[in-house]
Amino acid sequence: MNEFLSKEKSIYIQISEMIENDILRDILLEEEKVPSTNDLAKMYTINPATAAKGVNILVDSGVLYKKRGIGMFVSEGAKEMIMKRRKAEFYDNYVKAIVEEAISLGITRADLIKMIDEAK
Amino acid sequence: MNTLECKGIVKKFGSNEVLHGVDVTLEKGKIYGLIGRNGAGKTTLLSIASGQNPATAGEVDVDGLKVWDNQDALDKICFSRELNITAGNTGIGGLKVKEYLKAARTYFPGYDKSIEERLIKEFELDIKKRLSKLSKGMLSMVTIIVALASKSEYTFFDEPVAGLDVVARDTFYKILLEEFAESGRTFVISTHIIEEAADIFEEVLFLDKGNIILKENTQELVGRTVHVSGVSEEVDKIMEGKKTYHVETIGRSKAATVMLEPGEELRNTADITVQPMNLQQIFVAMCGKEA
Repeated sequence: MNEFLSKEKSIYIQISEMIENDILRDILLEEEKVPSTNDLAKMYTINPATAAKGVNILVDSGVLYKKRGIGMFVSEGAKEMIMKRRKAEFYDNYVKAIVEEAISLGITRADLIKMIDEAK
Repeated sequence: MNTLECKGIVKKFGSNEVLHGVDVTLEKGKIYGLIGRNGAGKTTLLSIASGQNPATAGEVDVDGLKVWDNQDALDKICFSRELNITAGNTGIGGLKVKEYLKAARTYFPGYDKSIEERLIKEFELDIKKRLSKLSKGMLSMVTIIVALASKSEYTFFDEPVAGLDVVARDTFYKILLEEFAESGRTFVISTHIIEEAADIFEEVLFLDKGNIILKENTQELVGRTVHVSGVSEEVDKIMEGKKTYHVETIGRSKAATVMLEPGEELRNTADITVQPMNLQQIFVAMCGKEA
């Protein structure tokens, strides 16, 4: 939870991604309590409603769950769930963008595949 | 009925009309940002909304009570104006900070002295100094202390961070959020330092030449407003049927600020670049001079 907020993306998406990153890095463990929306608001100097929106994305996707009156907790299996989803998004977020840029530069399909092989 | 409602507010100074029928409803428990250029009418609107000045036409209700000349309504509102002290010890400038704060204490029924004491400490403000001896930033600190300690349900700040250094500004935002989390008070903050406060505002209001031209959830506004540039014809296709601002054409290329529908997404193609915009850039596109 020590990352800076950037201006490139919606704040609430960044909040949800930061919590996910902390789960992937074992900074937040499964069944552990995550900071409250008011804590997050103060930490990042953002509106609590925005912080809540970020947290709720993770509740909706099942990464976090709510214990009434206590707070939000990391679900069992959250880490695996995040990895699975990020793999699925990899195509949209990275592969498509690479292909688009390759087309505008006139890079052939064969050359692109060769580059990927070499990048390893 | 937990709202502050401005209905058709018109304000004229002589023949000069500065507010042209402002209709705006503020809900309890939100932080609003009021953004407008110099002379747009921000201070006038806030002073009318807080019952400090009469409107030429229209009225303001708070939680169903008329604000003008009504103590019950006024007790719910605090408008902490910028302190403008002229040189010399005449008038209010001759007061020491602690004397000024003592006067404020009697003015607001819910005044919380513990907030005052904490802020004096956080800001390292010398309360034995006279107001006329304070710097611009220190005067801002005094107005912030009064506004936060007032505990008023509806609290308006007019340029609260003017002259404050970056550390003091950060202190202000953090304490504001803390107080907001604890109390659920409604805050309206007018500011020219847009970007650093943008993430605090749940909603923003753009006031342009005496009219509210936009009132929207900040994150939604930022999420759906993009800068589109590239091949002229392709940009035209995207602009069709959409709200656009600040359209610029240079040779075969075109650029525009485009408002997408909620949920709509636009991606880069070989011919166009789509870039996110921050609140300040959106404000300039909507309220700045046409290119």
